[in-house]
Amino acid sequence: MSNIYRNKKPLLVFLIPAFAFMLVFLYYPFFVNIWNSFQNIRGLGNAAKGLNSPWYSNYVRMFTDKNMLTALKNTAIMVVVTLIFQVGIALGLALLVDNIRRGKKFFQIVYFFPIVVSATALGLLFNLIFLYDKGMLNQLLEIFGRSTLIDWKEQAHALMTLMIPVTWQYVGFYFIIIVTGLNNISGELYEAAAIDGATPFQRVKYITVPLAYNVICTCAVLAVTGALKVFDLPWVMFPKGMPVNSTWLTGTYMYHTVFNQNDVDYSSAIAILIVILGVVLSKVVNKVFKQKDY
Amino acid sequence: MKKKIVATLIACMLVGSLAACGSKSDDNTAAKEDDKGKGVTLNVVTTYAGNDGNAENFQEGVKAWEEETGNTVSDSSQTSDEAFKARVAADFQAGSEPDVLFYFNGVDSNSFVEAGKVVSIDDIRKEYPDYATNMKDEMLGASPVDGKNYSVPVNGYWEGLFVNKEVVEAAGVEVPGKDTTWDEFMETCQKIKDAGFNPIAASLAQVPHYWFEYTIFNHDSVKTHNTLPESVDDENGKAWVAGIEDIKTLYEKGFFPENTLSGTDDETVQGFIDGKSAFLLDGSWKVGGIEEATDNIDNFTVTYVPAKGDRKATDLIGGLSSGYYITKKAWDDDAKREAAVSFITKMTSDEMVSKFAGTSATALKEGADVDESTLTSLGKDGYHMISDITGIAGAVQDQVPTDARGPVFDGMPGLVSGDNDIKTAVSEVLEMVKEIQE
Repeated sequence: MSNIYRNKKPLLVFLIPAFAFMLVFLYYPFFVNIWNSFQNIRGLGNAAKGLNSPWYSNYVRMFTDKNMLTALKNTAIMVVVTLIFQVGIALGLALLVDNIRRGKKFFQIVYFFPIVVSATALGLLFNLIFLYDKGMLNQLLEIFGRSTLIDWKEQAHALMTLMIPVTWQYVGFYFIIIVTGLNNISGELYEAAAIDGATPFQRVKYITVPLAYNVICTCAVLAVTGALKVFDLPWVMFPKGMPVNSTWLTGTYMYHTVFNQNDVDYSSAIAILIVILGVVLSKVVNKVFKQKDY
Repeated sequence: MKKKIVATLIACMLVGSLAACGSKSDDNTAAKEDDKGKGVTLNVVTTYAGNDGNAENFQEGVKAWEEETGNTVSDSSQTSDEAFKARVAADFQAGSEPDVLFYFNGVDSNSFVEAGKVVSIDDIRKEYPDYATNMKDEMLGASPVDGKNYSVPVNGYWEGLFVNKEVVEAAGVEVPGKDTTWDEFMETCQKIKDAGFNPIAASLAQVPHYWFEYTIFNHDSVKTHNTLPESVDDENGKAWVAGIEDIKTLYEKGFFPENTLSGTDDETVQGFIDGKSAFLLDGSWKVGGIEEATDNIDNFTVTYVPAKGDRKATDLIGGLSSGYYITKKAWDDDAKREAAVSFITKMTSDEMVSKFAGTSATALKEGADVDESTLTSLGKDGYHMISDITGIAGAVQDQVPTDARGPVFDGMPGLVSGDNDIKTAVSEVLEMVKEIQE
């Protein structure tokens, strides 16, 4: 009987197919992508016309390309906004829901619901909300006496209009993770604190937040890496960096360079940069929010 | 040992089940082959799929051909977009191209024409002298590579100025006609604006293409329009710069909707349908779009785009930008050669082309046989408009590979708002074209 546990070799039979799948469909394309970023490739499906001159030219170009710099700047803003608002709002909501006696399940479902709606559908929904003519927001403002329409998608408002739905969409995701973390905190601790005369605020400050700290850290890492990859909703609402190339994100710009400009090698280089940024930023976030043992 | 045997058995079962999936599919294919009898299976790729207005007509045509000949069509048609172009390019690269391809005849076809992977119509006619003889050869759409005809077109397009009659009437102006000049048009737009409407519905952020074509057309002629500038300083290059300057003037005068730099094409078109804008410059395919979008089609008409310079208002942008190709691979297979010729002959017959074309342009010698009683008032206006044209020029943007269009198309908002220099943008496009062609 004990032999079953000692002999691990049969496990390989089941691990190898998954490993082979990852190798063929993830790691091999990833390394080919690195190689492609040094080559001259016009159009998907076309063969490379040789190495770029110099071979690293795409990486130099990235730092002189106005649109790429806009994308990096906007992505940095997105990371900060995501971290503060997505995780922050999720934490706030989770604390509130954790403190109510009835309707916990109801609020969990309500806040989680945006996650199950496709980003494309949400993009279309928010397009209608922010629509210039007959949009929901402009109609509401009209009811309150405003006589002129606001173009929520013009340069001055575009970034805000883009970030509100992106932030809103994932609040529920982090909310659920944090709520699960809060559920693991023993009720006895709160009871003891209450007997000692702790106020609700003190209970949150000295029990809830410290004990949910590691969960919040995980959310922070997920939020940062997620912000670097965000694509679908911004692309539906602001395709091609509209207006006047002001809303590029690294994800949308990468897509644009390959599918609209057929610049496969440059797009590959952008993809590599996104991966590097993802790894570096998640390391930084891990360092900043170092996990603690309580 | 026993466990090892169990593990091996499970692994074998897994592999076996996968193999079973494979063999099942092989069995299906074999069964399919049997069902077909002696007929040939023709692999066909077209753009008649998805929301294309002719997707249904295509399917009906295929079915009729299959019944007539006993052959089968393996249809892998897909909506025309960049992913489709990438797929076609990849198929040719990998040697898995279809037997018959309905595809663009401009620069997009250069790679497979250069590689000799499609057969010219002259070569086909050596064996099948009647092939595509119902078409005007000069309108087939010669390849930019060697000037030879490779494809047989079906339905073409024209671009015209759609008008919301109620708006024009409310502003107290006339619908532009055959003799309307550009200056008169500018005055008309000003009056419409003063009356509280948007003169022109257009999203310069998303679809500046149509205005790009016509404003440049106003600075060259039918003969010279479809020629790519060599440099920004030659005659065509100057026409490009002057044309985009005209769009900038329209923007500065406030003739486009306020959200033209941030709104989508759908939004601005909806504004036109809803009676907020007077004019919409678009293609012949928009006739169907407007018919679907409105309950009062009689409120809309289509007319000529006002002209200046050598161009007459009755000179239109239009042409036949796609056609049926026979690939070399199919041509070298005797059975498929016969079937491919027969299939294209069927799909480009006068009857079929008339059905596909409706009010759009065709290359038919006898002209499309259109039953006017089936057309809406807007359809009739379009049909009458093209019957009075004095010249037609292909869209010059078709000479520019998609990836080189960015500085003037995606960059149009920056050009009209003065953020970027027009001459520099045109130079960038021309440099990119040269780089791609090299």
